[in-house]
Amino acid sequence: MTSTHKRTGFFMVLPAIVLFLVMTVYPFAYMIYNSFTNLDLSKSGTGQFVGLRNYTDIVRDQLALSSIEFTALMVLIAVPVEMILGLALSYLIRGLFAEKALRSLFLIPMMVPAAVGGFGWKMLFNFIFGPINYFLNLIGLQSIEWFGKINTARTAVMIVEIWQWTPFVFLILYAALQALPKDILDAGKVDGADGWRLFLHIELPLLRPILYVTLLLRIIDVLRTFDSVYMTTYGGPGSATSTWSFYAYKVTVSYGWNIGYGSALCVILVIVSGILINTLTRVLNIGRELGLSKE
Amino acid sequence: MKLKLLLLALALLSVLAFAEVTISVVACSDNADSLKWLAEEFMKRNPDIKVEVTTLSWEVLYPRILADISAKSGAFDVFNWDVMTAGAVSQGCLDLFEFIKQNPDLVDPSYDMDDLLPLAKNLGIWDGKLVGFPYFNNTMLFYYRKDLFENPKYKEEFEKMFGRPLRVPTTWAEAVDVARYFTKSYNKNSPTQYGIALMFPTTHTMFYMYLIFFGPYRRSVEGLTRFGPVDLDYGDYFTADRKPAFASDLGLKAFEDMKALMPYSPDPLGSDYGETLEYFAKGIVAMVPQWTNPYLQFKSSPALQPAAEKIGIAPMPGRSVAGNWALGINKFISTEKQKAAFKFIQFATSKWADKEKLIRFAIAPVRKSTLEDAEAQNAIPWVKVLPSIYADETFRPRIPEEPRLEDISNINFAKILSGELPLTLDTLNKLANEWEKVLTK
Repeated sequence: MTSTHKRTGFFMVLPAIVLFLVMTVYPFAYMIYNSFTNLDLSKSGTGQFVGLRNYTDIVRDQLALSSIEFTALMVLIAVPVEMILGLALSYLIRGLFAEKALRSLFLIPMMVPAAVGGFGWKMLFNFIFGPINYFLNLIGLQSIEWFGKINTARTAVMIVEIWQWTPFVFLILYAALQALPKDILDAGKVDGADGWRLFLHIELPLLRPILYVTLLLRIIDVLRTFDSVYMTTYGGPGSATSTWSFYAYKVTVSYGWNIGYGSALCVILVIVSGILINTLTRVLNIGRELGLSKE
Repeated sequence: MKLKLLLLALALLSVLAFAEVTISVVACSDNADSLKWLAEEFMKRNPDIKVEVTTLSWEVLYPRILADISAKSGAFDVFNWDVMTAGAVSQGCLDLFEFIKQNPDLVDPSYDMDDLLPLAKNLGIWDGKLVGFPYFNNTMLFYYRKDLFENPKYKEEFEKMFGRPLRVPTTWAEAVDVARYFTKSYNKNSPTQYGIALMFPTTHTMFYMYLIFFGPYRRSVEGLTRFGPVDLDYGDYFTADRKPAFASDLGLKAFEDMKALMPYSPDPLGSDYGETLEYFAKGIVAMVPQWTNPYLQFKSSPALQPAAEKIGIAPMPGRSVAGNWALGINKFISTEKQKAAFKFIQFATSKWADKEKLIRFAIAPVRKSTLEDAEAQNAIPWVKVLPSIYADETFRPRIPEEPRLEDISNINFAKILSGELPLTLDTLNKLANEWEKVLTK
């Protein structure tokens, strides 16, 4: 490549680099800087360097700690349910008469804006007018105060999350199932494997790398859960459904305007996500599964 | 010649273009319709000033105003702000006392500052500076089903059940019996499904709802003796020496009153403003504590027709809580814009505008003259009860730390009401300690 080509190439990618620096790197660096200050928009004369004080405060902040609890619950319950449902749907839909129509139908929740979806679910869960309680009454069950009790509120938020993101899992796994090497499947069939056994012993192992990546993507996304909480429970009752991201939002934007402390919460989220992703990548050996490394 | 004419036309056009000052108003959705209408009226009278109103939701409005003030960007020239954020917003608002002194020529001689209701005006003052003209004198009212309370059949049944006449409750203790009577699961003959619609969600709603229960204790003779007079900056949540007043046996009693009513309300911890409004508008409940502005929605609800016979309005059984809004001017904008902004906020809070926005949009008045106006009283029925409510309503803190205190409290209050935290003095003291930490930070 000549130097002219190199220069042309550089100038062609320059806008993208500048955009990346301005829109991503600078805000991120500024957030890290802010996390070491006491910047508070509600007070004048703030923004002084306070060292690690924001970080040490987080350890003593009960509301931050309870946000970890619900975020962890989401990862431990909502993500596996999404994975199982997505896998089941992608497997069961194959070969059905209305496969194409169903495939499109399943993707709708993912395409609905989170705010619209959350608002819709809020109406569905309404204690008096909500269709969910209406159907519960029809089968002789009592109406449920979905957003008024800890367990039901947590269940409601998880239902919204599962509804919205199972299609994502479905989409990836459905595509992966279509792309499985036909010769291996045929060889399995020749050896007498069919239906469930073919899936369990041949298709599922072949899907493993994609499953791991999907799992990783879902965990990253669930760690950032915000919209479904904001639109339905607003973190309540109490702090029962407050996720880490939602708590950071409240501290930084909605109630606190405490940019310093909120930035520290966001930095912690980035660090925790990074550690978790790294650990999972190593434990699940994702690099090797995808053929990216020989480890 | 042609060229000269063209140049002259261009010069005229540019003069006209620069002569028009555009001011940008950021408003809460509750006030936006009235402000947009007033902006149109203002522009008819002041063609040299263009007013643009941007509507933001309650949750987004404050951070947006604060970000604007903090960055000194001047994105908005006029702020429509909730008075409980006075302490925070004041850092970026013009002192109108000073502005009036320096610009006497801009002051409308008929504006009549003394006509403004004292509390509404005082809530816009921070640190001796008038940082906003009062715009919306919102307060909480007690809406009830007039037809049910006046029905002889229910009156007789109620008296048989409780040994006293059915009447609109004047205390929360009285409200419990009435709410029970109108709840189907406790009285199968109840015409409504639930007695009262309460909103105790983990949002900013909780913070004002607690005050309508704590207010009667805080403002009682005992409360005033023990805690001292209410400070205009710190509000009813605090003692006169700025300590949390709710961390007391009186604070506990307020929670007991709230809990006593909860069985007669549909999903109190999961319902917010919108839900309770719907419950009353659709005839599901017999009573609801709500703000002034939902009246228009109730009035047009098919389930509440004829409205005059079905919608009753009374002062809150406990105490009402103020939800005032003001109009302030961004101090980080040009003098020219400040002058134009002043003209607009003066117009929007004038005697004429105060009455018009009340009649057209049910925006509670900030002026004595509007309260006394017969046309205004006939147009909106709650105008007649407002003077007694304004005389003793409670209010929330206006200090800059208010949002953080509010968030901590909303969460803990919801935990207390749901039973997650025990209703003990120890629980309230722990919350008070959290408040102290925020205040001393």
